Amino acid sequence: MLTELETTLLGVMMMVIMLGMGASMTPRDFRIAFRKPKGILVGLLSQFAVMPFLGFLLAVLLGLPPALVVGLLLIACMPGGTTSNIFAYFSKGVLALSIMMTTVSTLAAVVMVPLLLSFYGGLAGISGDYAIPAGNVAQILVVLLVPTALGMVLRKMNPNVGASIELIGSFMGVAVIVFLIATWVPRNYQLLLDTPAPVYAATISIGLVGMLFGYWVARGLGQDTRRSRTISLETGIQNGPLAVLVITLSFGAAMQQEVLLIPILYSLFIVLTSTVITLWYRRSSTREALARDAAKLGTAP
Amino acid sequence: MTVSNRPWLAAYEPEIAPELPQPNYASLAHLISHSCTTYAKRRAFTCVVPNGMNGTLTYKQVGAMSDAFASFLRHHCKLSPGARVAVQLPNGLGYPVAAFGVFKAGGVLVNTNPLYTPSEMVHQFNDSGAEVLVISDLFADKLEEVIAQTGIKHVVLAGVPEFFPRIPETIVRGVQKFWSRSLPPVPALNVPVLRLRDALKMGRGLEDVTDWDTLSSDDLALLQYTGGTTGVAKGAMLTHGNILANLEQVKVMGGQHMSGEDCVLTALPLYHIFAFTANLMTFFDLGARNILVPSPRPVQNIQRALENYPVTWITGVNTLFNGLMNEEWFAAYPPKTLKAAIAGGTALHQAVAERWQDVTGTRVAEGYGLTETSPLVSFNPLHLAVRAGSIGVPVPGTDVALVDDAAEPVEQGKPGELLVKGPQVMRGYWNRPEDTAQTLQNGWVFTGDVAVMDEDGFLTIVDRKKDMVLVSGFNVYPNEIEDCLSKLDTVLEAAVIGVPDRATGEAVRAYVVQNPDVPDHVTKESVIAHCRKYLAAYKVPKSVILRDELPKSPIGKILRKDLKAEARAEFAGKV
Repeated sequence: MLTELETTLLGVMMMVIMLGMGASMTPRDFRIAFRKPKGILVGLLSQFAVMPFLGFLLAVLLGLPPALVVGLLLIACMPGGTTSNIFAYFSKGVLALSIMMTTVSTLAAVVMVPLLLSFYGGLAGISGDYAIPAGNVAQILVVLLVPTALGMVLRKMNPNVGASIELIGSFMGVAVIVFLIATWVPRNYQLLLDTPAPVYAATISIGLVGMLFGYWVARGLGQDTRRSRTISLETGIQNGPLAVLVITLSFGAAMQQEVLLIPILYSLFIVLTSTVITLWYRRSSTREALARDAAKLGTAP
Repeated sequence: MTVSNRPWLAAYEPEIAPELPQPNYASLAHLISHSCTTYAKRRAFTCVVPNGMNGTLTYKQVGAMSDAFASFLRHHCKLSPGARVAVQLPNGLGYPVAAFGVFKAGGVLVNTNPLYTPSEMVHQFNDSGAEVLVISDLFADKLEEVIAQTGIKHVVLAGVPEFFPRIPETIVRGVQKFWSRSLPPVPALNVPVLRLRDALKMGRGLEDVTDWDTLSSDDLALLQYTGGTTGVAKGAMLTHGNILANLEQVKVMGGQHMSGEDCVLTALPLYHIFAFTANLMTFFDLGARNILVPSPRPVQNIQRALENYPVTWITGVNTLFNGLMNEEWFAAYPPKTLKAAIAGGTALHQAVAERWQDVTGTRVAEGYGLTETSPLVSFNPLHLAVRAGSIGVPVPGTDVALVDDAAEPVEQGKPGELLVKGPQVMRGYWNRPEDTAQTLQNGWVFTGDVAVMDEDGFLTIVDRKKDMVLVSGFNVYPNEIEDCLSKLDTVLEAAVIGVPDRATGEAVRAYVVQNPDVPDHVTKESVIAHCRKYLAAYKVPKSVILRDELPKSPIGKILRKDLKAEARAEFAGKV
């Protein structure tokens, strides 16, 4: 479990991350993005339809206990994480689409996450102590939207301040994962050893399978390869620290321990899997660029 | 050659005198000094990088910094009057400080393209005899190879975020260094290498600079290199008087719409004569604000600059306007404060001009000019209705003539090579008497452009003399074909050249780029069918080649000469 101080610190870090996310764009970017919303809608579909269903399916297939099911479902229902933007950049994806998807999914999360949690939670038979109060989740998300909006306004008013905050937010996105691992792992060493392989499998595969489905859903709906790769990363990379925050604010000390297992492991493993996938996508991007260059050398008819 | 009777004077607004008054200043240094004191508190330059981070210099700061740089040049580099200083910077706050410092030190500015290869740099520095080089730190890796082969004695490095506030500067440099890895280490050289900031510090302690007091309008201000279509780059010698005259001429073009309240978007590079005169000098004279964009490619890089500042004027070339309108953020939210745009550099396509008017609700004032004429020669008066495809009438104080191959004036309405005479005409090419003699005769510049003049004195460029395609004895002007191609929705941009042909001597070949915003694919058949509808049979391209992009010059002119060179290689030994 996290101490009160650590929970507060986590909350502050999330605020900074959200401030940075807001500062990565202006209100006008937002309006422009919604003039041609297809890419974003495809992203939302894979984010809020594909991922939660995958989470539910994995939970059922692996026959996880309720505490872990809650953790897994929560991760699956989370909006996109801000680190996805860094991975989108390095994979030579469409950075603007990634930023926009993260922001839009975070906004939509206020409504979608409570709905999805109660739906899949009910389906998985989660009740009583383990049920996450939907109002609680919505509240946390709304609170986090304040710094997001503030970041957006700051970017518009003073681009120097805005862009600096964006950068700090990106660093914080990585720092928060390090923070979670550093505070949680040493204290739960034994728990990690006792955790059976299927749990690890679930933790790693939710991200990977999400990326796989994200890619093919996007391709199937007519997105080009570059955009599809961006949507793929965005789908697989969830806002893990947000899930941790929700849990620490919703469960008592005794229950936190177990419920936190999957979100924290996820936050750790997703960095590793995303790095591998990013390197792979980057190679695909480069290969495609070379192919285009080759095609440019048109010959006379 | 006789001076024509200037039929175009009727097109001037009433308050415009047909002759240009004597310039208000003896030199550019006098002008700069005057603006810096008169408009001291106003913002002179704001440089905006793609993420919106920015830095600003006021007129007062520009004055103090360029004074310091001038002192550095005179006292530390021991620059003598008339000595050459090469400035090789992308648009940024360092550029005006360096360029104005050179003028104030009585030196000659050698504008140099930052993207030049080492061999091009060596040629330009040796040809001009440059003693000091101010170069972007992004290209410091070229120095080791270049400096040893030239007479450069001092190197000054400036960064893209030069003179930004501390934190944004650190972030931009950090991103360049660790993220995009575009900041190479500075090699060890035999000559002293300084950062611009440090050079200013050294200059600041020294005595006041008034070296420019002795400058006159006849002194050289710029060696402006121009490749032309043949041979190596030559330095056009432009005097202080040339530029002073031309910026007055640019102001005439802007009519009543240019003032010190303006904010001009400078996305074209300042090392090019168009932006140098039209953006930098003209708007600095007015006390207006320049928004400097270090690199307009991709066009997206301009977004924050346009969003965050009340831009009233944009200068651009056909490709830039076209590119902007193909960006959704621009087409959906064109700048509300915009008054008009100035097009030059290359022919503005009719379709682009019309779309610009539709999208922004403002006019594109098309001007025409060349490096050899500082650059502006003619303009379209903003108070008159648009004349499709015309480059307008000559600016005040300028005479033009259209001549045939024997240098005899052609009949009115007939095409002939355009000759220009006026206060903006260069002194010749630096150290190239033969090239000068060919281009400059009795004060007339032979432009190499074929034009026609209508009864009112409005000129229309038919094409480059050298680019004309001769199909079975008929003259085909690539511009006309390109203009026709640009009307096709599926075509983003197009270039036309002549290629050898057994049957017709030369044949028209079109290179076209697919418009990514249109679902339909551009095909050879559709291009030819489109041309058949609008063009005489001999003008219709015989071959059509699809490309992802076309070769372009630093300011975005499509380079037909590169395509021609490619075609020459392709046809070598075949015909």
